[in-house]
Amino acid sequence: MADAAKPIEPIHQFQISDIFHIGTFGGDGTAGSGVSIAFTNSALFMALTVGAVGLFLIWGSARRAIVPGRMQLMVEMTYEFIANMVRSTSGQAGMRFFPLVAALFMFVLFANLLGMFPYFFTVTSQLIITVLLALIVFFTVIIYGFYKNGPKFLKIFAPSGIPWYAIWLVTPIEVISFLSRPVSHSLRLWGNMLAGHIVLKVFGGMVVAMLGAGAWGLASVLPLGMAVALTGLEFLVAALQAYVFAVLTCVYLNDALHPGH
Amino acid sequence: MSRGFRLASEFAAAIIVGAGLGYLIDMFLPTRPWGLVVLLLLGFAAGVTNVVRATREMNEATAVPADTPALRDDEDE
Repeated sequence: MADAAKPIEPIHQFQISDIFHIGTFGGDGTAGSGVSIAFTNSALFMALTVGAVGLFLIWGSARRAIVPGRMQLMVEMTYEFIANMVRSTSGQAGMRFFPLVAALFMFVLFANLLGMFPYFFTVTSQLIITVLLALIVFFTVIIYGFYKNGPKFLKIFAPSGIPWYAIWLVTPIEVISFLSRPVSHSLRLWGNMLAGHIVLKVFGGMVVAMLGAGAWGLASVLPLGMAVALTGLEFLVAALQAYVFAVLTCVYLNDALHPGH
Repeated sequence: MSRGFRLASEFAAAIIVGAGLGYLIDMFLPTRPWGLVVLLLLGFAAGVTNVVRATREMNEATAVPADTPALRDDEDE
């Protein structure tokens, strides 16, 4: 069997561990009281993600050649891709949110892809991170919607063309539908990343367990093949979920720009 | 697969939010259990609305252009 001190646990990869302690806030000084703030592995990989995005963009745009090199071409294609996505879903007026959408897309994409390295921590598999990203979009929509449209923003809760006797039923439904956006927005990204990584770990664990079980070792090529295939699928999911997250951000921001469907 | 997951999460999220709101209302108002019951049903309706909207968006995103020539139908000959 595998090392008895280290059982094969598919969930272990999501554990948050402190790298170094920063300080304790509040509490009465006894051990275990107050809020402990520490630089965790999650924080480390968020910093790495931001660093990787920054390095990619700065390195790619450093030469500023008229005929772009390979790195510059990748950066330019990334820009064009995000800009087209923003324009096609929320129109030219949506381009004022380009920095927000681009930052979210690049952060999620790089966090997902960094998570594909063995032994790396997947930032987007933590619910708190995806909820925070979704809430940023949610409050941006509310604040900018009221700032730009004033009370007319409330028209998103009462679609045009609804007869007066149906409005009392439609409005609560629309309110719940609006409130459910950050939930589905964050759950989707989190669920995909969490599930994918657990499945990968389970199949990986099967290979190890079967190799340790004598004659069954021959059959361990089957889960190994699954793990290889799923790795490919996970790369697709990583890119696709970043795209879906960014597209939905644009769709929601479109409501802030043009309320009332 | 991601499309199905998107629709499922849109539907589930609306029901979760509806049930949560109903539960909160029941906690602060003496309406138990009607707040939960009514808002759960409204959440279901909102979920269906979400799914219909998401499907329409997906259909628009992959719509066939209007100037696409129609394929010849063998039945006509």
